[in-house]
Amino acid sequence: MRLLLVEDEIDIRSFLQTSLEEAGYQVEAAADGKTAEQLAIEGQFDILIVDLGLPDQDGISLILRLRQLGVRAPVLILSARRSVDDRVRGLEQGGDDYLTKPFALAELLARLRNLLKRNSAPGAEATRLRVVDLELDLLRREATRAGQVLQLTPQEFVLLEYLCRNAGRVVTRSMILDRVWGMRIQPDTNVVDVHIYRLRGKVDGQGQQPLIRTLRGVGYVLKDL
Amino acid sequence: MSLKTSKPVLRSAAWRISLWATLAFACGTMLVFVFLHRFVAGDIQRRSDAWLSGEVEVLGDVAERTPKDALYGRVVGEVAELAGKEVPNKLLAESSSNDSVFFLQTGGDGSLKLWVGAGTGEPNRAAILAIRMVPGQPTDLDVQGFQIPFRVASIRIDDGSYIYLGLSERDELRVLRSLRLRFFLLWLLLVLLGFGIVFLTTRRMLSHIREISEVASSIGHSGLNARVPTTERNDEVSHLALTLNHMLDRIESSMYQLHTITDSLAHDLRSPLTAIRGKLEMSLSATTQGEQAEPIVSAIEELDRLTDYLNKSLDVAEAKADALRLTRSEIDLNELLKIMIDLYEPSMSEKGLEIRLQRSGPIKIEADAALIHRMIANLFDNELKHLPAGCAVNLRVTADDDNASLILEDNGPGFDAEVLPHLFERRVKGKKSTGHGLGLAFVDAVTRAHGGTVSASNREKGGACLTVTLPLIPIGPPISAQAGV
Repeated sequence: MRLLLVEDEIDIRSFLQTSLEEAGYQVEAAADGKTAEQLAIEGQFDILIVDLGLPDQDGISLILRLRQLGVRAPVLILSARRSVDDRVRGLEQGGDDYLTKPFALAELLARLRNLLKRNSAPGAEATRLRVVDLELDLLRREATRAGQVLQLTPQEFVLLEYLCRNAGRVVTRSMILDRVWGMRIQPDTNVVDVHIYRLRGKVDGQGQQPLIRTLRGVGYVLKDL
Repeated sequence: MSLKTSKPVLRSAAWRISLWATLAFACGTMLVFVFLHRFVAGDIQRRSDAWLSGEVEVLGDVAERTPKDALYGRVVGEVAELAGKEVPNKLLAESSSNDSVFFLQTGGDGSLKLWVGAGTGEPNRAAILAIRMVPGQPTDLDVQGFQIPFRVASIRIDDGSYIYLGLSERDELRVLRSLRLRFFLLWLLLVLLGFGIVFLTTRRMLSHIREISEVASSIGHSGLNARVPTTERNDEVSHLALTLNHMLDRIESSMYQLHTITDSLAHDLRSPLTAIRGKLEMSLSATTQGEQAEPIVSAIEELDRLTDYLNKSLDVAEAKADALRLTRSEIDLNELLKIMIDLYEPSMSEKGLEIRLQRSGPIKIEADAALIHRMIANLFDNELKHLPAGCAVNLRVTADDDNASLILEDNGPGFDAEVLPHLFERRVKGKKSTGHGLGLAFVDAVTRAHGGTVSASNREKGGACLTVTLPLIPIGPPISAQAGV
């Protein structure tokens, strides 16, 4: 996967480049709009990360210019601004995504994956998910672990489904709040942790291999062996 | 939201103003006319009196000098008839007939000696004898058979007989009547014209004022870029419009400055926060999970709290200045609370708290979903942090015609009495609170930004009660989606 990173802050650019390369992307980095434009014309990229506040031009102008030049790759917009520009909303509707600084790396990676998935041909939607001996029947809304049916509330099932779909990948608390409850909030309290704790109590029974792991300071991951 | 309701004309201020103005004008002109009329009537009376007195003296003189023979009646009668042709105020068209003047000579005993005029003169004589006439002073006289009174002057001549000269007041009254009629028509025309002019002018002026107030009242709701309409005229109303627009310019520019400041503050702080967070995450993934990771984990958590604090305080600052940008959409409060309770219930029961929602039908508001979510999360976080175990939180949503109220009650210790009046100010927190004192200030800020109110009290039975009131979606045409400023 070839990724073009356009970010003027050197600290952010360097840690993003390292992290994205670790995650398996081939990263080309640019510090301003002009360089980014040249790179985008010369090489084919699968995805772009563009910061809104560039020294020589507005990030949105750059994106619109690249679109005019025939660059079709989806864009993840990074912004440190408070308000979401109407033009950003326009791009969001056009299939691009938007992330506010500061962000968790896990969230950035998840959004990149979503953008790439959105742009690839949609495959047939799976009706069953399977992680180790945990099985989810998405039609009957039923989960089984080692053949045993788990007594889950509808909300717990949705949470488990989200974890299973991202098996092996880190999901943060705000990602869970966004995708499972549909709200972008930052509670001062451990509301998500309690949900995970309860779910873990039902999924990871005694003597079984623990599937839901907590990565402190980062989020949660459903282990995929 | 438009304030334009089709108000009936009869209840408009323009109608009232023109009615009063016209009334004053009509009364004034009427008063002027009454004076004028009295003056004219007096003058006409004086003229005819002067004529009567003069003529009666001449006739007396003639009657005295004329020998009392067979020709006496003819001579005096002719003189009297001649005099009748010189009647003042007489209309030309009626110069031929002469029933407006009569001449009467009576003897000292009241017997009729000579009569010149229409009819026999008997009723005139009877009428004259019925009243006491002072010679030389003209008097009004009602004669039987005549609708219009006569003005009669008398003189006593040397042979002891009396000479009376009567002049019908018909012409005089006709002059006055035609004066009154003309005036009345003119007056009516003037009053109607005046009313029309006043009504149209005030209505125009007031409609301009109404436009101004409509725009001014909509400005708070739909951003500050609208301006009140101005006109070319240089009157007070256009001056008011210009002043309002200048004021709006200044407010808009200070709003813009505030946005620029908060934006650049956010930007300047978020960029380094992003870099720090990134580096922390990288070092976290490099080290193994365990003892070593602990300081990094807590640093990340601190950093996230700092970010949240930054966002909240900027929101509160903007909301205090009425400059919070909203992206409104339709929200069903009951549905939202159900989801929120679903999210918070495990944490609550983990702490030994109970949370209940009294369900009712859908109650919809038009609000910024992200802000409302964060506001309710703040309220719930607050309960979660401050309620001792075993307490219960009761939630209900009610609605009246215009507003939805979210009422949150608990049976905990309630608010500290000294904190209660300042509950929604920044940095105010309870004695045992560990937060940064922004939670309820944020709740207040979001509510105000949506045109609502929030109030807090301690319940009589113990426990706290918080009421958040937000305007319902107005019935009627939906508000078009509003972009922020």
